[in-house]
Amino acid sequence: MRIVHTILGIVLILPVFGQIDKMKTADSLYTAEKYQEAVALYEEVLQEGKESAELYFNLGNAYFKTGDINHAILNFERARLLDPNDEDIAFNLQVANQYVVTSVEPLPQPFFARWSNAVINLNSADSWGRISLIAFFCFLVFLGLFLFAKSAGIKRFSFILGILSIVISLFAFSFASKQQSKIRNRNHAIVFCPRVTVKSSPSENGTDLFLIYEGVKVEITDSLDVWKEVKLLDGNLGWLKDSCIVRI
Amino acid sequence: MIKQLLALLFILNPAVIFADGVTFEMSAPNAVETGQQFRLSFSLNKEGGNLRLPDLSNFEILMGPSKSESSSTQIINGQVTHSVTYSYIYILRAKNEGTFEIRPATIEVDGAVYESNSLKIQVVKGRTPQQPQQDNPPEGGAADVGKEDLFVRVALSKSSVYRGEQLLATVKLYAEPDLPIQGFEEVNLPEYEGFYSQDIDMPQQISFTREVYNDRIYKVGVLKKTILFPQQNGTITINPFSLTCLVRQQVGPRSFFDDFFSSYRTARARITSEPVSLQVRDLPSAPAGFTGAVGNFSVNASLSNTHVSTNDAVTLEVKVNGSGNIRLIRNPELELPSDFEVYDPRSTENIRTTDNGMSGTKTFEYLFQPRFEGDYTIPQIHFSYFNPASGQFVTKSTPEFELHVSKGDEEQSATVVSSLRKEDVQLIGQDIRFIKQNHTKLRQRGYTFFGTTGFYAMYGGGALAFLIVFMVYRKKARENANLVLMRNKKANRIAKKRLKEAAGFMKNNQDEQFYESILKAFWGYLSDKLGIEVAILNRERAVEELNNRKVTRALIDDFVKVIEQCEFARYAPSGGSKARHDLYKQAASVMSKMESQIKR
Repeated sequence: MRIVHTILGIVLILPVFGQIDKMKTADSLYTAEKYQEAVALYEEVLQEGKESAELYFNLGNAYFKTGDINHAILNFERARLLDPNDEDIAFNLQVANQYVVTSVEPLPQPFFARWSNAVINLNSADSWGRISLIAFFCFLVFLGLFLFAKSAGIKRFSFILGILSIVISLFAFSFASKQQSKIRNRNHAIVFCPRVTVKSSPSENGTDLFLIYEGVKVEITDSLDVWKEVKLLDGNLGWLKDSCIVRI
Repeated sequence: MIKQLLALLFILNPAVIFADGVTFEMSAPNAVETGQQFRLSFSLNKEGGNLRLPDLSNFEILMGPSKSESSSTQIINGQVTHSVTYSYIYILRAKNEGTFEIRPATIEVDGAVYESNSLKIQVVKGRTPQQPQQDNPPEGGAADVGKEDLFVRVALSKSSVYRGEQLLATVKLYAEPDLPIQGFEEVNLPEYEGFYSQDIDMPQQISFTREVYNDRIYKVGVLKKTILFPQQNGTITINPFSLTCLVRQQVGPRSFFDDFFSSYRTARARITSEPVSLQVRDLPSAPAGFTGAVGNFSVNASLSNTHVSTNDAVTLEVKVNGSGNIRLIRNPELELPSDFEVYDPRSTENIRTTDNGMSGTKTFEYLFQPRFEGDYTIPQIHFSYFNPASGQFVTKSTPEFELHVSKGDEEQSATVVSSLRKEDVQLIGQDIRFIKQNHTKLRQRGYTFFGTTGFYAMYGGGALAFLIVFMVYRKKARENANLVLMRNKKANRIAKKRLKEAAGFMKNNQDEQFYESILKAFWGYLSDKLGIEVAILNRERAVEELNNRKVTRALIDDFVKVIEQCEFARYAPSGGSKARHDLYKQAASVMSKMESQIKR
């Protein structure tokens, strides 16, 4: 019986080890400047349904080195989705974006939106979830202190801290759910067609609105058949075929 | 140096030449026609004799020698210069066509024999003199000159060159030897499009020489000489150019007398050159270090100083010496350590332009300042040029230099470095950052711990644990509270029991036990009532606690008095049964009052 368990355990754990090994091999291929082979190996790990910010980051790097800027941007964006506060990812994404022909000036956001985005992007969904949990436990401790303490000073102190931690816990929870919805919905995409005309309606006969080149990041706001309504960072809205874009 | 001194000496004292130098020269036209007379003249600057002619069998000596003598005296700044020239002239006629060499002639001067130069004379077939048609001379306009008699052409020294290879272009005017040319008008000398050109300085006066062209003798004047450097590949055509010659022409004789008073007029002849084309070949693929030099060069370099202190200026001088398109050479690349302060290189040229082309020296000065101490290497400069003669690139390198930089003066470096140490990081190139290599957390795609049942379970678990702890704690607290209450309730009863004991001892006159049991009754009572251990309870503590419980001052005083009496009496028994009885009564009353006051 025990042997069966052990075998089961090995079988379950092995794939993970295999993937890590694969990534290590891919890393050394990258270091040896064999970028094509590194790309293939990273993609293989992705095919097995596994992901991590590092994996996407390294894959993006490898694509960048092979000159495939679109894929590089796509993978950097995916990495940033998983680890929004990583400096290296942000830097490489910025470098890759310099190769994009279309320059999109993002719409200015009101200060509170900018601030809240900045705060939310400080951590990933899981980190926010963990913060929420810890703050919740703190709240419980302070609640206990408040209930059982005899001295009025301690009571006041734990009351204030308790309120503070429950507020933090609630905020962190909402941030976490926001980050998670980003990962779940993935409603951003990268344009892969070298040159695509964005139409005013979801048909070939629609009026040509504007022209974008590959590598641009768009937000998917609506869809109809093979057509997707996309919104550029500068607020321009239009329809294009979904064969031209790849979701982040 | 010695040569220069000698030259200076010669210039200062011309008498030296006069005394020593004997020049004996032979001169004749370099091209003649058969049957034409010409002069062969010898000139000597000193009186001589016994002139021996070389072999002149190909020519007929018609006359000679006719000897003449001319002398000139010059007074310049008091220096008197006297020169005499003796000349011997023969009139010759060529017999046969061909090119003949006249060997040097010899002459004796003061017993010594001097040799003249040798000459080459080309003899071409004589033309039948054609009768110029001068019956109807044009009134004032164009000269009546045949195209064969007067023309211009551009002579190129090469017909096929590499791009950048130098060649000589000569603009020549060919004229019938007898044609009197007085001057030029509207001279449009050729513009060499597609070339970099450099004119050769020419004397203002055009001197004519005789030259054979298309089997005819012309007098040829060189109008312009230019060194050309083709700048594009393929066939370059030098466009025709034109000029107007002023030719003196005799107005045809009308009468016998007119021959004596013949009138001349100046006629204008406009002549245009033929276009000339040149084949330019492209250079083969250039190696690194090629900066446009085509020709034949040598390169050397020198460093102004090899031991310097920081912030001293150092000059690396690279000299390119040779012939070719030296003006067009760009400065060779010099790779200096990146923290050097490097200034733009400066170039100076020292160039001569002659018929043989452009030659000279181009000097590139690289000025830089090392900012930090250390040993540096000034790398080699690889200078590549194309040698058109061999059709190959040649690379020459300058030596490598070691530069030792020591720390400069304290003051100097302190003032300068304060502003220099703060250099921004120099962005040499931009690249993405390197991959991450810590792979620990691979997980299923789209999986987040947040939102899973486990995640919410942790909230629930936390809350549950809290509830359990809360309940347990509260129950315990309640039990504790009961214990205190019980003791409190019991206190009075125990105290009364002890007092009763004391009363028993009082009856039996057992003094010591009596006082002790009263004290025991009080301490026990207070211990239970106030919740303080008997061991740490003393009079001061008890008074303090009683004060805290708002017990009246009078009662506390009574209590203290009872305790004092008891303790005093324990060690020194005194008084009779009356005193004991009073004490007992007082203790009982304090006890009952206390019970009512502490209870609250």
